[in-house]
Amino acid sequence: MKRARGWLVAGATAALFLLPLLWMLHASFRPEAEVFAGGFRGLFSLRGLSLDNYASAWRRAALGVGLFNSFLQVAGILGLGLLFNSLAAFALARFEFAGRRLLFGLVLVLLILPVEVLAVPLLLTVRDLGLTGGYARTLAALVLPFAVKAFNVYFLRQHFLALPRDLEEAAVVDGAGPFRIYWSVALPAIRPALATVLVLDVLAHWSDFIWPLIVCTRAETRTVQLALANLFTQPPIQWGDILACAVLVTLPVLLVFRLAQRHVVASDLGAGIKS
Amino acid sequence: MNRAAGATRATPWLFLAPALLLLGTFTLVPMLRAAAWSFTGADLLDVEGARWIGAANYSDLLTDPRFRRAFFNTALFALMVVPAQAALAFFLALWVNRPEPHWRWLRTAFFVPVVVSMPVLAVLWTMLYQPLRGDQMGLVNALVAGLGLPAQDWLQNPRLALPAIAFMSVWQGVGFQMMIFLAGLQNLSKDQLEAAQIDGAHAGQRLRHVIVPAMRPSIVFVLTATLILSFRLFVQPYLMTRGGPADATVSLIQYVYETTFLGRELGRACAGAMLFLLLVAGLTLLQRLCAREERS
Repeated sequence: MKRARGWLVAGATAALFLLPLLWMLHASFRPEAEVFAGGFRGLFSLRGLSLDNYASAWRRAALGVGLFNSFLQVAGILGLGLLFNSLAAFALARFEFAGRRLLFGLVLVLLILPVEVLAVPLLLTVRDLGLTGGYARTLAALVLPFAVKAFNVYFLRQHFLALPRDLEEAAVVDGAGPFRIYWSVALPAIRPALATVLVLDVLAHWSDFIWPLIVCTRAETRTVQLALANLFTQPPIQWGDILACAVLVTLPVLLVFRLAQRHVVASDLGAGIKS
Repeated sequence: MNRAAGATRATPWLFLAPALLLLGTFTLVPMLRAAAWSFTGADLLDVEGARWIGAANYSDLLTDPRFRRAFFNTALFALMVVPAQAALAFFLALWVNRPEPHWRWLRTAFFVPVVVSMPVLAVLWTMLYQPLRGDQMGLVNALVAGLGLPAQDWLQNPRLALPAIAFMSVWQGVGFQMMIFLAGLQNLSKDQLEAAQIDGAHAGQRLRHVIVPAMRPSIVFVLTATLILSFRLFVQPYLMTRGGPADATVSLIQYVYETTFLGRELGRACAGAMLFLLLVAGLTLLQRLCAREERS
């Protein structure tokens, strides 16, 4: 009896919490005139549900292009970032060298630097480097400034430090050089930490807004969030299209989250707390 | 490993080179340039012709009513979001910290809004907050009407717009803070964990004397992280209200953004960015001090 009540309370709370997103999904199939119709009862209306909004949103927001651009942007940041951040983290964790403490101090300071502060001066740097205008240049401007992230270096360093030395020492005995040890021993051993970093980066950069808003000046370079914002701000405002677009923008991250959920350990998320 | 086979003095620097190159080019250099520009009258389209004007940008900012308004709004937003989100996240974490599988589902449900992008949620909540027109209304007004309360034009009412944005922001981020608290709870000993199941007598006392003291590192972390995050407010008001009505939701970041791209006053925008950075640095220092006091 008590158990059943627990289930009921849990289910009701979850439903209430997810109500906004459920409404979004349902309303995205409703005809334009009925998106806001009927108040609360509208939630249960099945009248006239169709995929029309999706077809219209896909065309009007050029979502094919937007999804492709966002995919390239996130893949670029993830790919470069994974390599560069883990290389730096490994050096900070495993080598003794002059200036190591100083560099690690720099990483700690940069941890707190908010992207938004940097956006304006960064634009001028990117402009001076010629990374504006064309498609490839804009992509580089989206990726390069955010590939290396202080948090990721810090986080991966902590995980390299926690690795037992035996593994690596065995590899040294076998004659492996430092890069081999990094690549084939240490990196595979911190796979859960890498997964955590990847998932957090996907979430962070799929939703990037202010920086793409500044650098994606041409329609063909727009990311998904800009495509959505464009539908939302440029008349004629079609609520059904906006909702369908919002759902399509959300599906890829939900999928990534679903696939990665098993690999991301909750305790990893809190790893930055104790130090 | 440092004296490992094949490692020379250059090896660490080879490992560090790509990261240092990108950090230097895209973080350190822009930051130093911004610091320098903040003391000039630089124009966005004519950076070279900038003249040194001392601290004039800073004094202008501090007397500009719109900047003060942006600061006030952002601080007020933080004041609304931080305690609400931290407290809610804490109790959700205590509630769902149980091993049976259906609690895992509940944890996931609370985390889902964190996964959905903020621009999507800003657009969605603009629709949820739609005012009453005939039988057309947003879901929030439908619920409010269901409770017998009068419908509101949430985002166009200067007194309600910022609280409305704060409410959706708490809903969006609470799952993440809950996960951090859950991680903290998992580090507690078994006895402490049993006490964390807050059903039964004296739950409040156990909470106050056992759980909260043991969880202090997590609490300090969540409070300061949320505080810094909430000071970065931009996307929600930019999309939901454009900073309106009557500047009631204009944020610090939006002020810097508009000063740059509408006013083209690069020098002044950089001064704004520097003040923002000082603020965040100050908040972080505060956290470090709290954490240190904790340890001693």
